[in-house]
Amino acid sequence: MSRVLATYNIKGGVGKTSAAVNLAYLAARGGATTLLWDLDPQGASTYLFRVRPKVRGGVRKLVRRKSDVEDLIKGTDHERLDLLPADFSYRHMDLALDAAKHSTDRLARVLEPLRGQYEYIFLDCPPSISLVSENVFEAADALLVPIIPATLSSRTFEQLEELVHGGPQVLAFFSMVEVRKSLHREVMAKLRATHVTMLGAAIPSADEVERMGVERTVVAEIAPAGRAAIAYEALWWDVRRRLTARG
Amino acid sequence: MNLTGTDLLLPARTTPADAVVALGNRLSLQEGDGAQRELRFYDTFDGLLHEAGLAFVHESGRSALRSLETGDEQAGTAAPDPPERLFAGELEPGPLRDALAAIIEVRALQPLVRVEIAERAFGVLDGAEKTVVRLALVEAAVFASPTRRLALAPRLRIAAVRGYEKAFARVCRTLVDDLGLTAAAGSTLDEAVLATGATPGGVSSKVDVALVRDQRSDSAAASILERLAQVMDSNLPGLIADVDAEFLHDYRVAVRRSRAVMKELKGVFPAEQLARFRAELRRLQQVTGPSRDLDVYVLDFDQLRAGLPAASRSDLEPLLRVLRARRVIARREMVRAMRSDRAEELRAEWPAFLSELVTLPTDGRPDAARPIGELAGERITKIYKRMVKMGRAIEDSSPPEALHELRKQGKELRYLLELFGLPLHPGDVVKPLVRALKSLQDTLGRHQDREVQIATLRSFRDQVSTLRGGAAALMAMGVLIEHLGEDERAARAEFAERFASFASKAQRALVMETFSS
Repeated sequence: MSRVLATYNIKGGVGKTSAAVNLAYLAARGGATTLLWDLDPQGASTYLFRVRPKVRGGVRKLVRRKSDVEDLIKGTDHERLDLLPADFSYRHMDLALDAAKHSTDRLARVLEPLRGQYEYIFLDCPPSISLVSENVFEAADALLVPIIPATLSSRTFEQLEELVHGGPQVLAFFSMVEVRKSLHREVMAKLRATHVTMLGAAIPSADEVERMGVERTVVAEIAPAGRAAIAYEALWWDVRRRLTARG
Repeated sequence: MNLTGTDLLLPARTTPADAVVALGNRLSLQEGDGAQRELRFYDTFDGLLHEAGLAFVHESGRSALRSLETGDEQAGTAAPDPPERLFAGELEPGPLRDALAAIIEVRALQPLVRVEIAERAFGVLDGAEKTVVRLALVEAAVFASPTRRLALAPRLRIAAVRGYEKAFARVCRTLVDDLGLTAAAGSTLDEAVLATGATPGGVSSKVDVALVRDQRSDSAAASILERLAQVMDSNLPGLIADVDAEFLHDYRVAVRRSRAVMKELKGVFPAEQLARFRAELRRLQQVTGPSRDLDVYVLDFDQLRAGLPAASRSDLEPLLRVLRARRVIARREMVRAMRSDRAEELRAEWPAFLSELVTLPTDGRPDAARPIGELAGERITKIYKRMVKMGRAIEDSSPPEALHELRKQGKELRYLLELFGLPLHPGDVVKPLVRALKSLQDTLGRHQDREVQIATLRSFRDQVSTLRGGAAALMAMGVLIEHLGEDERAARAEFAERFASFASKAQRALVMETFSS
């Protein structure tokens, strides 16, 4: 059975896609069959993997399981790493879910036939609190939550824990960190002291992360020895360790 | 590594370097990371893993079971270089050990081939520079001996990327139609095994000889016996080297089957040679008997011990020591007998005799030219009837010998059915009969085995009592003997039911209809 990991935050622009893409790449590189589902209608991870953002039949057929999800999957440039692409119709995913029966576990049901095939399934989620996020909480074993260490981040964290209470494991990590900023350092120290679920690894704000959009690939291929590549490896190690610890 | 998949061979006289140039002219290629690998493959003598579509591979400090078709790892673990002989139980507990044990059971893995592979990986790109097909140029070499390295034909491995099946079909067409590549017949592993002179899939001990009903009986008997002689020969080296217990077991089954053929089809052989070879084969069976009995004891020891209360299980250690010591002595005698001039002569003369059997005069061989369908049918019917009669005469008060005699007949019948019944008659008639017979034989065998085990355990008592911990061991053995006795009685109680289904009216009618026409 696969582990379903969703990169999620209520806020946008915090490094969700970057985390989903780079962690999924590392999972596959480590030998695990891995699927990334790009749930964001903007299709950033689909673009990074050079796959056409097109899902035959659109979101309506997909959530009602009228299309065969297996036929929609595309292999990426990386062995063992497949992608379920984004589609522009995903912008109406909320409506499609709302119109269907069992509206909060539709996504989990879509994933069902894939659970035997992939060791890890990553969900790259759009920022929001909506029926889509409820579905994600239902389907995911763990939420990977990127947090920028700035003033309101502690509040974000608390909101989130309340939101998923009793649902998936929440694994938060610092993202887009600028260690030269004293504010970042202070917030990190404070959150690490008060939240045990905060992961140790932190993703720096780095050039190579921004260049992913230009080179259309993962940081490990842009700057294999760079700070970001190493930070993602540490993060992936940390995530796996926490997942294993939970059984 | 994809061991079969879609492997293509380069056209004759095309070097890998030429191939890369030709590919580059037709396709938009991007070269990825190449790899140098050394793989060691292992399997049992009879190729149990190959048969299950798997390979046991050791590569850079990791042992794994991989699918032959896709190369996917089913189970694996970090492990040192495997030894020349590896039992599943010698691996660290875990999924690899469990998966392996389920397939190879008591057999040992032995080295199959060592293969070196140099791989160049390429992606075929589409207009968006996305990889839509993966190619790998594979140059492999196998070590026929530690110093003799044989290059295998270079291969181009082609793998589809999910969701880009059209591109895959297009690239395949280009490779085959335009560039002249051809599909490889077997996997790299099979090719490597062939290059070393061995047989892919291992050496089978199955008999599988095709017969026709009106074939002369002497020719049918000879072809079965020749195959059985091959089985004996092929298992002999492993038997002598004590690789695993199955070599001896398969050897003995082949001897017993050969004896049954001679006994049941007496009339196809010249009397003098028949007497001689029957005596020689009986001797082979006798000299291998004690070793086999002790093998079974050692293999079943854990199960035997599990029948004891947890607290006294360790008390049986002295017994295991005695068993192992006796096994060493028994094996030494067996190996000496197998290496003797007498055994050597038999190995030369027996196949020679079989190969000329059909050319010998038929005087004194009344059944030689009779159709085998008729002769085998006659024997099968006769023994079946005899068993029905013997079984009916068995009562609760009958001595154990009565069951033992019935079991001996059952063995003859089973060999006849397997060797002659199956190739000559419809499987849907023969197989149910074999099943009913097996179920009866299992019960009779259990009865007999328990009796023998009890007697053997009793015979060990003196030796065990002299060892340290001997007194506790004797008490544990007493409990075992009691358990074995209970099981013997249970088997005896099962007998009536098993026999009834073997000798049912419907079964009898079917036997008559099938074999006495």
